[in-house]
Amino acid sequence: MDFALRARRLVKRYPKAPPNVYALSDVDLEVPHGITFGLIGRNGAGKTTFVRIAATQLEHTSGDLEVLGRDVRTRAREIRPRIACIPQESRPLYFLTTEEVVYLNLKMRGMDPVEARRRTRDVLAELELEPYRKTLVSRLSGGLRRRALVAMAFASDAELLFLDEPTTGLDPLARRQVWDAIRHAIREHRTIVLTTHYLDEAEALSARLALIEKGRVMLSGTAEELRARMPYPYRVTIAGSIDVEALHPYGRVTRIEGGYLVFARESSARDLARWGLEHGYRLSLGPVSLEDIFLEIVGRPLVGLEEEEEEPVAP
Amino acid sequence: MSERHRARSIFALVQINGLVPIRTQPLYLLSILASPLSFLFFIDIASHGAYYAFGVTGGMVLTMLSIGTGLQSDLTHYRNDLKFQDVVVASPVEAPSYIFGMALSELVYSAPGLAVFVVLWGIGGWATLNGAAVLVGTLLLVWGFATALSFTLATYFTDVRETWMYSPLISLGLTVIPPVYYPITALPSWAQTLAYLSPTTYAGQLVQAASGLVALSAEHAAVDWGVLVGFTAALFLLAATKARWRDP
Repeated sequence: MDFALRARRLVKRYPKAPPNVYALSDVDLEVPHGITFGLIGRNGAGKTTFVRIAATQLEHTSGDLEVLGRDVRTRAREIRPRIACIPQESRPLYFLTTEEVVYLNLKMRGMDPVEARRRTRDVLAELELEPYRKTLVSRLSGGLRRRALVAMAFASDAELLFLDEPTTGLDPLARRQVWDAIRHAIREHRTIVLTTHYLDEAEALSARLALIEKGRVMLSGTAEELRARMPYPYRVTIAGSIDVEALHPYGRVTRIEGGYLVFARESSARDLARWGLEHGYRLSLGPVSLEDIFLEIVGRPLVGLEEEEEEPVAP
Repeated sequence: MSERHRARSIFALVQINGLVPIRTQPLYLLSILASPLSFLFFIDIASHGAYYAFGVTGGMVLTMLSIGTGLQSDLTHYRNDLKFQDVVVASPVEAPSYIFGMALSELVYSAPGLAVFVVLWGIGGWATLNGAAVLVGTLLLVWGFATALSFTLATYFTDVRETWMYSPLISLGLTVIPPVYYPITALPSWAQTLAYLSPTTYAGQLVQAASGLVALSAEHAAVDWGVLVGFTAALFLLAATKARWRDP
Protein backbone atom coordinates (compact mmCIF):
# COMPACT_ATOMS: atom_id res chain seq x y z
CA MET A 1 0.00 0.00 0.00
CA ASP A 2 1.21 3.51 -0.83
CA PHE A 3 1.26 5.82 2.18
CA ALA A 4 1.36 9.59 2.39
CA LEU A 5 3.42 9.24 5.52
CA ARG A 6 5.17 6.27 7.10
CA ALA A 7 7.21 6.35 10.31
CA ARG A 8 9.34 3.46 11.52
CA ARG A 9 10.87 3.50 15.02
CA LEU A 10 11.00 7.29 14.90
CA VAL A 11 12.90 8.80 17.82
CA LYS A 12 13.34 12.44 18.77
CA ARG A 13 15.49 13.69 21.60
CA TYR A 14 16.03 17.45 21.77
CA PRO A 15 19.72 18.41 21.93
CA LYS A 16 19.63 19.91 25.41
CA ALA A 17 17.00 17.61 26.90
CA PRO A 18 17.97 15.71 30.08
CA PRO A 19 19.31 12.19 29.49
CA ASN A 20 16.61 9.63 28.74
CA VAL A 21 13.98 12.29 28.05
CA TYR A 22 12.57 11.65 24.60
CA ALA A 23 9.94 13.70 22.80
CA LEU A 24 9.20 10.69 20.58
CA SER A 25 10.10 7.06 21.29
CA ASP A 26 9.92 4.36 18.61
CA VAL A 27 6.92 5.83 16.85
CA ASP A 28 5.44 3.64 14.14
CA LEU A 29 2.68 5.28 12.10
CA GLU A 30 1.19 4.90 8.65
CA VAL A 31 -1.04 7.53 7.09
CA PRO A 32 -2.80 6.41 3.89
CA HIS A 33 -3.32 8.88 1.06
CA GLY A 34 -6.51 10.92 0.81
CA ILE A 35 -7.75 10.79 4.38
CA THR A 36 -7.75 12.96 7.47
CA PHE A 37 -5.49 11.40 10.08
CA GLY A 38 -6.11 12.64 13.60
CA LEU A 39 -3.32 12.83 16.16
CA ILE A 40 -4.69 13.16 19.66
CA GLY A 41 -2.98 13.51 22.98
CA ARG A 42 -2.28 15.93 25.79
CA ASN A 43 0.09 18.87 25.48
CA GLY A 44 3.61 17.55 25.70
CA ALA A 45 2.60 14.16 24.35
CA GLY A 46 4.68 14.60 21.19
CA LYS A 47 2.06 15.51 18.56
CA THR A 48 3.67 18.79 17.51
CA THR A 49 7.15 17.24 17.49
CA PHE A 50 5.89 14.56 15.12
CA VAL A 51 4.18 17.10 12.86
CA ARG A 52 7.28 19.35 12.77
CA ILE A 53 9.52 16.44 11.80
CA ALA A 54 7.10 15.32 9.08
CA ALA A 55 6.75 18.89 7.79
CA THR A 56 10.57 19.04 7.41
CA GLN A 57 10.89 21.76 10.07
CA LEU A 58 12.69 19.66 12.67
CA GLU A 59 15.37 16.97 12.47
CA HIS A 60 14.76 13.60 14.10
CA THR A 61 17.28 11.67 16.15
CA SER A 62 16.88 8.20 14.67
CA GLY A 63 14.44 5.97 12.83
CA ASP A 64 12.88 6.47 9.43
CA LEU A 65 10.15 8.75 8.18
CA GLU A 66 8.92 8.83 4.62
CA VAL A 67 6.65 11.66 3.48
CA LEU A 68 5.01 11.21 0.08
CA GLY A 69 7.41 8.35 -0.58
CA ARG A 70 10.56 10.34 0.14
CA ASP A 71 12.91 10.20 3.08
CA VAL A 72 12.31 13.29 5.19
CA ARG A 73 15.95 13.61 6.16
CA THR A 74 17.60 13.35 2.75
CA ARG A 75 14.90 14.45 0.30
CA ALA A 76 13.20 17.34 2.08
CA ARG A 77 13.59 19.61 -0.97
CA GLU A 78 11.39 17.25 -2.99
CA ILE A 79 8.80 17.01 -0.23
CA ARG A 80 8.41 20.72 0.53
CA PRO A 81 6.64 21.84 -2.69
CA ARG A 82 3.99 19.17 -2.03
CA ILE A 83 3.13 20.05 1.57
CA ALA A 84 1.71 22.97 3.56
CA CYS A 85 1.61 23.49 7.29
CA ILE A 86 -0.24 25.58 9.83
CA PRO A 87 2.03 25.43 12.89
CA GLN A 88 0.68 25.41 16.41
CA GLU A 89 0.35 28.94 17.81
CA SER A 90 1.15 30.51 14.46
CA ARG A 91 -0.31 33.90 13.61
CA PRO A 92 -0.67 35.67 10.28
CA LEU A 93 1.50 38.76 9.71
CA TYR A 94 -0.55 41.49 11.35
CA PHE A 95 0.06 44.25 8.80
CA LEU A 96 -1.45 42.25 5.92
CA THR A 97 -5.12 42.14 5.03
CA THR A 98 -6.94 38.80 5.16
CA GLU A 99 -6.83 38.63 1.37
CA GLU A 100 -3.09 39.38 1.30
CA VAL A 101 -2.40 36.63 3.86
CA VAL A 102 -3.77 34.07 1.44
CA TYR A 103 -2.80 35.63 -1.90
CA LEU A 104 0.79 36.53 -1.04
CA ASN A 105 1.39 33.11 0.50
CA LEU A 106 0.28 31.52 -2.77
CA LYS A 107 2.57 33.84 -4.73
CA MET A 108 5.39 33.05 -2.34
CA ARG A 109 4.83 29.37 -3.12
CA GLY A 110 5.40 30.31 -6.77
CA MET A 111 1.80 30.17 -7.97
CA ASP A 112 0.70 32.09 -11.05
CA PRO A 113 -0.97 35.37 -9.92
CA VAL A 114 -4.21 34.73 -11.84
CA GLU A 115 -4.58 31.28 -10.30
CA ALA A 116 -3.61 32.69 -6.90
CA ARG A 117 -6.36 35.34 -7.16
CA ARG A 118 -8.96 32.71 -8.10
CA ARG A 119 -7.97 30.37 -5.27
CA THR A 120 -7.92 33.26 -2.78
CA ARG A 121 -11.43 34.32 -3.77
CA ASP A 122 -12.74 30.74 -3.52
CA VAL A 123 -11.22 29.95 -0.14
CA LEU A 124 -12.34 33.26 1.42
CA ALA A 125 -15.88 32.47 0.27
CA GLU A 126 -15.71 28.92 1.57
CA LEU A 127 -14.51 29.97 5.02
CA GLU A 128 -16.90 32.96 5.08
CA LEU A 129 -14.02 35.41 5.30
CA GLU A 130 -15.19 37.60 2.41
CA PRO A 131 -16.53 40.39 4.63
CA TYR A 132 -13.01 40.70 6.11
CA ARG A 133 -11.18 40.55 2.76
CA LYS A 134 -9.73 44.06 3.08
CA THR A 135 -9.47 44.10 6.87
CA LEU A 136 -6.01 44.20 8.42
CA VAL A 137 -5.20 41.06 10.37
CA SER A 138 -4.35 43.22 13.39
CA ARG A 139 -8.02 44.22 13.53
CA LEU A 140 -9.40 40.69 13.35
CA SER A 141 -10.48 38.62 16.35
CA GLY A 142 -8.31 35.66 17.36
CA GLY A 143 -10.73 33.23 15.76
CA LEU A 144 -10.78 35.09 12.44
CA ARG A 145 -6.97 35.21 12.39
CA ARG A 146 -6.89 31.46 12.84
CA ARG A 147 -9.36 31.04 10.00
CA ALA A 148 -7.19 33.24 7.78
CA LEU A 149 -4.28 30.87 8.43
CA VAL A 150 -6.42 27.85 7.67
CA ALA A 151 -7.52 29.56 4.44
CA MET A 152 -3.86 30.07 3.57
CA ALA A 153 -3.14 26.34 3.83
CA PHE A 154 -6.28 25.20 2.03
CA ALA A 155 -5.78 27.59 -0.87
CA SER A 156 -2.37 26.07 -1.61
CA ASP A 157 -1.91 23.26 -4.11
CA ALA A 158 -0.25 21.04 -1.48
CA GLU A 159 -1.17 17.35 -1.51
CA LEU A 160 -0.45 16.90 2.18
CA LEU A 161 -1.57 19.43 4.79
CA PHE A 162 -0.36 19.52 8.38
CA LEU A 163 -2.83 21.31 10.62
CA ASP A 164 -1.54 21.62 14.17
CA GLU A 165 -4.54 22.49 16.33
CA PRO A 166 -6.24 24.55 13.62
CA THR A 167 -9.44 25.23 15.52
CA THR A 168 -8.05 26.24 18.90
CA GLY A 169 -9.73 29.47 19.93
CA LEU A 170 -12.56 29.25 17.40
CA ASP A 171 -16.22 29.47 18.35
CA PRO A 172 -18.40 26.43 17.55
CA LEU A 173 -19.72 27.92 14.29
CA ALA A 174 -16.24 28.81 13.03
CA ARG A 175 -15.03 25.35 13.98
CA ARG A 176 -17.75 23.84 11.80
CA GLN A 177 -16.63 26.02 8.88
CA VAL A 178 -13.09 24.73 9.25
CA TRP A 179 -14.47 21.19 9.43
CA ASP A 180 -16.33 21.77 6.17
CA ALA A 181 -13.14 23.06 4.56
CA ILE A 182 -11.28 19.95 5.74
CA ARG A 183 -14.00 17.72 4.27
CA HIS A 184 -13.78 19.70 1.03
CA ALA A 185 -10.00 19.20 0.93
CA ILE A 186 -10.52 15.47 1.36
CA ARG A 187 -12.93 15.47 -1.59
CA GLU A 188 -10.02 16.94 -3.56
CA HIS A 189 -8.07 13.79 -2.61
CA ARG A 190 -5.68 15.62 -0.34
CA THR A 191 -4.27 14.10 2.83
CA ILE A 192 -4.54 15.94 6.12
CA VAL A 193 -2.64 15.30 9.33
CA LEU A 194 -4.64 16.97 12.05
CA THR A 195 -3.66 17.43 15.68
CA THR A 196 -6.37 18.51 18.04
CA HIS A 197 -7.40 18.69 21.65
CA TYR A 198 -11.03 18.41 20.67
CA LEU A 199 -11.89 14.74 20.63
CA ASP A 200 -15.28 15.34 19.01
CA GLU A 201 -13.43 17.10 16.22
CA ALA A 202 -10.95 14.27 15.84
CA GLU A 203 -13.75 11.75 15.66
CA ALA A 204 -15.92 13.80 13.31
CA LEU A 205 -13.13 14.40 10.80
CA SER A 206 -10.60 11.61 11.03
CA ALA A 207 -10.82 8.39 9.07
CA ARG A 208 -7.99 7.09 11.23
CA LEU A 209 -6.60 8.22 14.57
CA ALA A 210 -3.53 7.78 16.71
CA LEU A 211 -3.36 8.47 20.41
CA ILE A 212 0.05 9.71 21.51
CA GLU A 213 1.12 9.80 25.13
CA LYS A 214 4.62 10.55 26.42
CA GLY A 215 6.11 10.28 22.95
CA ARG A 216 4.63 6.87 22.21
CA VAL A 217 1.72 5.80 20.03
CA MET A 218 -0.63 4.08 22.47
CA LEU A 219 -3.41 3.25 20.01
CA SER A 220 -3.98 3.66 16.32
CA GLY A 221 -6.79 2.80 13.92
CA THR A 222 -10.31 3.85 12.99
CA ALA A 223 -12.59 5.08 15.77
CA GLU A 224 -14.41 1.75 15.60
CA GLU A 225 -11.18 -0.21 15.88
CA LEU A 226 -10.21 1.86 18.89
CA ARG A 227 -13.56 1.17 20.51
CA ALA A 228 -13.28 -2.54 19.79
CA ARG A 229 -10.08 -2.65 21.81
CA MET A 230 -11.77 -1.30 24.91
CA PRO A 231 -12.73 -3.77 27.66
CA TYR A 232 -16.09 -2.00 27.96
CA PRO A 233 -17.22 -0.75 24.53
CA TYR A 234 -20.57 0.73 25.71
CA ARG A 235 -21.50 3.55 28.05
CA VAL A 236 -24.81 3.87 29.91
CA THR A 237 -25.71 7.03 31.80
CA ILE A 238 -28.44 6.81 34.42
CA ALA A 239 -29.93 9.89 36.06
CA GLY A 240 -31.38 9.94 39.58
CA SER A 241 -30.54 8.60 43.02
CA ILE A 242 -29.70 4.93 42.64
CA ASP A 243 -28.15 2.44 44.97
CA VAL A 244 -24.68 2.18 43.41
CA GLU A 245 -24.37 -1.43 44.53
CA ALA A 246 -27.14 -2.31 42.11
CA LEU A 247 -25.04 -1.01 39.22
CA HIS A 248 -21.72 -2.72 39.95
CA PRO A 249 -22.62 -6.11 38.42
CA TYR A 250 -23.10 -4.47 35.02
CA GLY A 251 -19.63 -2.95 34.60
CA ARG A 252 -17.37 -0.13 35.75
CA VAL A 253 -19.33 2.60 37.57
CA THR A 254 -18.35 6.27 37.75
CA ARG A 255 -20.23 8.99 39.62
CA ILE A 256 -21.24 11.93 37.41
CA GLU A 257 -23.31 15.07 37.92
CA GLY A 258 -26.91 13.94 38.66
CA GLY A 259 -26.32 10.21 38.33
CA TYR A 260 -23.91 7.51 37.22
CA LEU A 261 -21.96 6.49 34.15
CA VAL A 262 -21.52 2.77 33.63
CA PHE A 263 -19.04 1.30 31.14
CA ALA A 264 -20.24 -2.11 30.09
CA ARG A 265 -19.98 -4.92 27.59
CA GLU A 266 -22.77 -5.16 25.01
CA SER A 267 -24.97 -7.73 26.80
CA SER A 268 -24.53 -6.05 30.20
CA ALA A 269 -25.34 -2.66 28.69
CA ARG A 270 -28.56 -4.05 27.24
CA ASP A 271 -29.51 -5.69 30.57
CA LEU A 272 -28.73 -2.48 32.47
CA ALA A 273 -30.84 -0.41 30.08
CA ARG A 274 -33.73 -2.80 30.49
CA TRP A 275 -33.36 -2.75 34.30
CA GLY A 276 -33.23 1.05 34.33
CA LEU A 277 -36.30 1.47 32.19
CA GLU A 278 -38.24 -1.04 34.33
CA HIS A 279 -37.39 1.03 37.40
CA GLY A 280 -38.33 4.33 35.75
CA TYR A 281 -34.86 5.89 35.48
CA ARG A 282 -33.88 8.27 32.67
CA LEU A 283 -30.98 6.78 30.80
CA SER A 284 -29.00 6.84 27.62
CA LEU A 285 -27.03 4.07 25.95
CA GLY A 286 -24.31 4.33 23.30
CA PRO A 287 -20.82 3.32 22.28
CA VAL A 288 -17.94 4.72 24.31
CA SER A 289 -16.70 8.08 23.11
CA LEU A 290 -13.18 8.92 22.09
CA GLU A 291 -12.86 10.76 25.38
CA ASP A 292 -13.77 7.60 27.28
CA ILE A 293 -11.07 5.73 25.38
CA PHE A 294 -8.61 8.51 26.09
CA LEU A 295 -9.39 8.33 29.81
CA GLU A 296 -9.02 4.58 29.78
CA ILE A 297 -5.59 4.73 28.13
CA VAL A 298 -4.10 7.85 29.67
CA GLY A 299 -6.01 7.79 32.93
CA ARG A 300 -6.51 11.55 32.97
CA PRO A 301 -8.86 13.88 31.14
CA LEU A 302 -7.54 15.70 28.08
CA VAL A 303 -8.93 19.12 28.88
CA GLY A 304 -7.76 20.89 32.01
CA LEU A 305 -4.33 19.33 32.13
CA GLU A 306 -2.81 21.15 29.21
CA GLU A 307 -0.56 23.29 31.31
CA GLU A 308 0.61 20.48 33.50
CA GLU A 309 3.21 18.96 31.23
CA GLU A 310 4.77 20.96 28.44
CA GLU A 311 6.34 19.33 25.43
CA PRO A 312 10.14 19.58 25.51
CA VAL A 313 11.10 22.42 23.23
CA ALA A 314 14.10 22.90 21.07
CA PRO A 315 16.74 24.99 22.84
CA MET B 1 11.55 25.29 -8.41
CA SER B 2 12.05 27.11 -11.72
CA GLU B 3 13.71 30.52 -11.97
CA ARG B 4 10.33 32.10 -12.73
CA HIS B 5 8.77 30.58 -9.62
CA ARG B 6 11.79 31.61 -7.58
CA ALA B 7 11.50 35.21 -8.82
CA ARG B 8 7.79 35.15 -7.94
CA SER B 9 8.59 33.93 -4.41
CA ILE B 10 11.19 36.63 -3.90
CA PHE B 11 8.87 39.36 -5.13
CA ALA B 12 6.08 38.08 -2.88
CA LEU B 13 8.46 38.33 0.11
CA VAL B 14 9.36 41.89 -0.93
CA GLN B 15 5.64 42.67 -0.96
CA ILE B 16 5.03 40.93 2.37
CA ASN B 17 7.85 42.55 4.32
CA GLY B 18 8.50 45.72 2.31
CA LEU B 19 5.83 47.18 0.09
CA VAL B 20 2.77 46.29 2.17
CA PRO B 21 4.20 47.56 5.49
CA ILE B 22 5.25 50.81 3.77
CA ARG B 23 1.64 51.23 2.71
CA THR B 24 0.16 50.37 6.10
CA GLN B 25 2.85 51.83 8.39
CA PRO B 26 4.59 54.66 6.52
CA LEU B 27 6.00 56.17 9.72
CA TYR B 28 8.64 53.41 9.73
CA LEU B 29 10.28 55.14 6.76
CA LEU B 30 11.12 58.07 9.02
CA SER B 31 12.32 55.85 11.85
CA ILE B 32 14.84 54.19 9.49
CA LEU B 33 16.36 57.63 8.90
CA ALA B 34 16.54 58.55 12.57
CA SER B 35 19.87 56.90 13.51
CA PRO B 36 22.00 57.91 10.49
CA LEU B 37 20.66 61.48 10.53
CA SER B 38 21.30 61.75 14.29
CA PHE B 39 24.91 60.67 13.77
CA LEU B 40 25.30 63.16 10.92
CA PHE B 41 23.90 65.92 13.12
CA PHE B 42 26.24 65.22 16.05
CA ILE B 43 29.32 64.70 13.86
CA ASP B 44 28.60 67.97 12.10
CA ILE B 45 28.07 69.90 15.35
CA ALA B 46 31.03 68.34 17.18
CA SER B 47 33.48 68.88 14.33
CA HIS B 48 32.18 72.37 13.49
CA GLY B 49 31.35 71.14 10.00
CA ALA B 50 34.78 69.60 9.35
CA TYR B 51 33.42 66.03 9.23
CA TYR B 52 30.08 66.77 7.59
CA ALA B 53 31.12 64.95 4.38
CA PHE B 54 32.25 61.94 6.43
CA GLY B 55 28.86 62.02 8.14
CA VAL B 56 27.10 61.78 4.79
CA THR B 57 29.16 58.83 3.51
CA GLY B 58 28.96 57.20 6.96
CA GLY B 59 25.18 57.67 6.91
CA MET B 60 24.97 55.58 3.75
CA VAL B 61 27.02 52.77 5.30
CA LEU B 62 24.98 52.89 8.50
CA THR B 63 21.72 52.79 6.55
CA MET B 64 22.88 49.57 4.86
CA LEU B 65 23.91 48.11 8.21
CA SER B 66 20.54 49.12 9.67
CA ILE B 67 18.97 46.85 7.08
CA GLY B 68 20.76 44.00 8.80
CA THR B 69 19.60 45.09 12.23
CA GLY B 70 16.02 45.44 11.01
CA LEU B 71 16.19 42.11 9.24
CA GLN B 72 17.48 40.42 12.37
CA SER B 73 14.54 41.70 14.44
CA ASP B 74 11.99 40.85 11.77
CA LEU B 75 13.30 37.34 11.16
CA THR B 76 13.50 36.60 14.89
CA HIS B 77 9.96 37.91 15.46
CA TYR B 78 8.55 36.04 12.46
CA ARG B 79 10.30 32.83 13.43
CA ASN B 80 9.48 32.72 17.14
CA ASP B 81 6.28 34.68 17.62
CA LEU B 82 4.41 34.17 14.34
CA LYS B 83 5.97 30.82 13.26
CA PHE B 84 6.27 32.30 9.79
CA GLN B 85 9.60 30.59 9.12
CA ASP B 86 7.96 27.21 9.81
CA VAL B 87 5.26 28.04 7.24
CA VAL B 88 7.97 28.97 4.73
CA VAL B 89 10.13 25.91 5.45
CA ALA B 90 7.15 23.62 4.73
CA SER B 91 6.75 25.17 1.28
CA PRO B 92 8.65 25.28 -2.02
CA VAL B 93 10.56 28.40 -0.88
CA GLU B 94 14.22 27.58 -0.23
CA ALA B 95 16.38 29.32 2.36
CA PRO B 96 18.41 31.45 -0.12
CA SER B 97 15.21 32.78 -1.71
CA TYR B 98 13.78 33.56 1.72
CA ILE B 99 16.91 35.44 2.83
CA PHE B 100 17.23 37.29 -0.45
CA GLY B 101 13.54 38.22 -0.56
CA MET B 102 13.55 39.43 3.03
CA ALA B 103 16.83 41.36 2.60
CA LEU B 104 15.47 42.96 -0.57
CA SER B 105 12.29 43.93 1.30
CA GLU B 106 14.40 45.71 3.93
CA LEU B 107 16.33 47.45 1.15
CA VAL B 108 13.05 48.67 -0.36
CA TYR B 109 12.10 49.89 3.08
CA SER B 110 15.40 51.73 3.49
CA ALA B 111 15.52 53.13 -0.04
CA PRO B 112 13.97 56.52 0.82
CA GLY B 113 16.47 56.97 3.67
CA LEU B 114 19.35 56.03 1.42
CA ALA B 115 18.02 58.44 -1.20
CA VAL B 116 18.28 61.32 1.29
CA PHE B 117 22.00 60.62 1.80
CA VAL B 118 22.60 60.16 -1.94
CA VAL B 119 20.99 63.57 -2.55
CA LEU B 120 23.17 65.15 0.19
CA TRP B 121 26.19 63.43 -1.39
CA GLY B 122 25.28 64.91 -4.79
CA ILE B 123 24.64 68.37 -3.39
CA GLY B 124 27.97 68.25 -1.54
CA GLY B 125 29.75 67.93 -4.88
CA TRP B 126 31.58 64.70 -3.95
CA ALA B 127 29.87 62.55 -6.60
CA THR B 128 31.79 61.25 -9.62
CA LEU B 129 30.93 58.40 -11.96
CA ASN B 130 33.84 56.31 -10.72
CA GLY B 131 33.02 57.22 -7.14
CA ALA B 132 29.38 56.21 -7.63
CA ALA B 133 30.46 52.78 -8.89
CA VAL B 134 32.71 52.26 -5.86
CA LEU B 135 29.94 53.49 -3.57
CA VAL B 136 27.34 51.08 -5.04
CA GLY B 137 29.77 48.14 -4.89
CA THR B 138 30.76 48.88 -1.29
CA LEU B 139 27.21 49.39 -0.11
CA LEU B 140 26.10 46.14 -1.77
CA LEU B 141 28.84 44.24 0.07
CA VAL B 142 27.83 45.87 3.37
CA TRP B 143 24.20 44.88 2.64
CA GLY B 144 25.39 41.34 1.84
CA PHE B 145 27.38 40.71 5.00
CA ALA B 146 24.80 42.44 7.21
CA THR B 147 22.12 40.15 5.72
CA ALA B 148 24.13 36.95 6.13
CA LEU B 149 25.09 37.81 9.72
CA SER B 150 21.53 38.80 10.65
CA PHE B 151 19.95 35.68 9.20
CA THR B 152 22.41 33.38 10.95
CA LEU B 153 21.88 35.08 14.32
CA ALA B 154 18.09 35.25 13.90
CA THR B 155 17.87 31.48 13.53
CA TYR B 156 19.54 31.06 16.95
CA PHE B 157 17.56 33.65 18.90
CA THR B 158 14.59 32.23 20.76
CA ASP B 159 13.02 35.57 21.59
CA VAL B 160 12.94 38.95 19.88
CA ARG B 161 14.25 40.50 23.10
CA GLU B 162 17.62 38.87 22.38
CA THR B 163 17.92 40.98 19.23
CA TRP B 164 17.35 44.12 21.31
CA MET B 165 20.33 43.04 23.41
CA TYR B 166 22.70 42.16 20.55
CA SER B 167 21.78 44.76 17.90
CA PRO B 168 23.20 47.80 19.75
CA LEU B 169 26.41 45.85 20.49
CA ILE B 170 26.74 44.87 16.83
CA SER B 171 26.08 48.47 15.77
CA LEU B 172 28.70 49.68 18.25
CA GLY B 173 31.27 47.24 16.88
CA LEU B 174 30.47 47.91 13.25
CA THR B 175 29.67 51.62 13.04
CA VAL B 176 30.62 53.66 16.06
CA ILE B 177 34.13 52.43 16.88
CA PRO B 178 35.29 51.85 13.26
CA PRO B 179 35.99 55.01 11.25
CA VAL B 180 32.74 55.14 9.32
CA TYR B 181 31.83 58.71 10.35
CA TYR B 182 35.36 60.11 10.46
CA PRO B 183 38.78 59.40 8.90
CA ILE B 184 40.82 56.64 10.47
CA THR B 185 43.58 59.17 11.15
CA ALA B 186 41.29 60.74 13.76
CA LEU B 187 41.83 57.65 15.93
CA PRO B 188 44.92 57.04 18.12
CA SER B 189 47.27 54.47 16.62
CA TRP B 190 46.25 51.62 18.98
CA ALA B 191 42.60 52.22 18.08
CA GLN B 192 43.45 52.20 14.38
CA THR B 193 44.84 48.67 14.78
CA LEU B 194 41.65 47.59 16.53
CA ALA B 195 39.48 49.28 13.91
CA TYR B 196 41.00 47.13 11.18
CA LEU B 197 39.29 44.11 12.79
CA SER B 198 35.95 45.48 11.62
CA PRO B 199 34.88 45.09 7.96
CA THR B 200 33.14 48.45 8.08
CA THR B 201 36.54 50.14 8.43
CA TYR B 202 37.38 48.96 4.91
CA ALA B 203 33.91 49.91 3.63
CA GLY B 204 34.24 53.33 5.27
CA GLN B 205 37.65 53.92 3.72
CA LEU B 206 36.41 52.91 0.27
CA VAL B 207 33.39 55.26 0.31
CA GLN B 208 35.47 58.08 1.79
CA ALA B 209 38.09 57.63 -0.95
CA ALA B 210 35.35 57.36 -3.61
CA SER B 211 34.08 60.75 -2.42
CA GLY B 212 37.56 62.29 -2.51
CA LEU B 213 37.65 62.74 1.27
CA VAL B 214 40.76 60.61 1.88
CA ALA B 215 43.58 59.50 -0.36
CA LEU B 216 43.93 55.77 -0.85
CA SER B 217 46.71 54.09 -2.84
CA ALA B 218 45.73 51.45 -5.41
CA GLU B 219 47.33 48.75 -3.24
CA HIS B 220 45.47 49.93 -0.15
CA ALA B 221 42.18 50.02 -2.08
CA ALA B 222 42.80 46.50 -3.39
CA VAL B 223 43.37 45.24 0.17
CA ASP B 224 40.16 46.98 1.31
CA TRP B 225 38.15 45.34 -1.48
CA GLY B 226 39.75 41.97 -0.81
CA VAL B 227 38.99 42.07 2.93
CA LEU B 228 35.43 43.25 2.34
CA VAL B 229 34.70 40.58 -0.27
CA GLY B 230 36.38 37.90 1.85
CA PHE B 231 34.46 38.88 4.96
CA THR B 232 31.17 38.88 3.07
CA ALA B 233 31.93 35.47 1.53
CA ALA B 234 32.86 34.10 4.97
CA LEU B 235 29.58 35.29 6.47
CA PHE B 236 27.61 33.76 3.60
CA LEU B 237 29.47 30.50 4.18
CA LEU B 238 28.60 30.76 7.86
CA ALA B 239 24.93 31.33 6.99
CA ALA B 240 24.91 28.40 4.58
CA THR B 241 26.46 25.98 7.06
CA LYS B 242 25.34 27.18 10.49
CA ALA B 243 21.98 28.96 10.12
CA ARG B 244 19.07 26.87 11.34
CA TRP B 245 16.56 26.48 8.55
CA ARG B 246 15.41 23.15 9.96
CA ASP B 247 15.65 23.03 13.75
CA PRO B 248 18.04 20.48 15.28
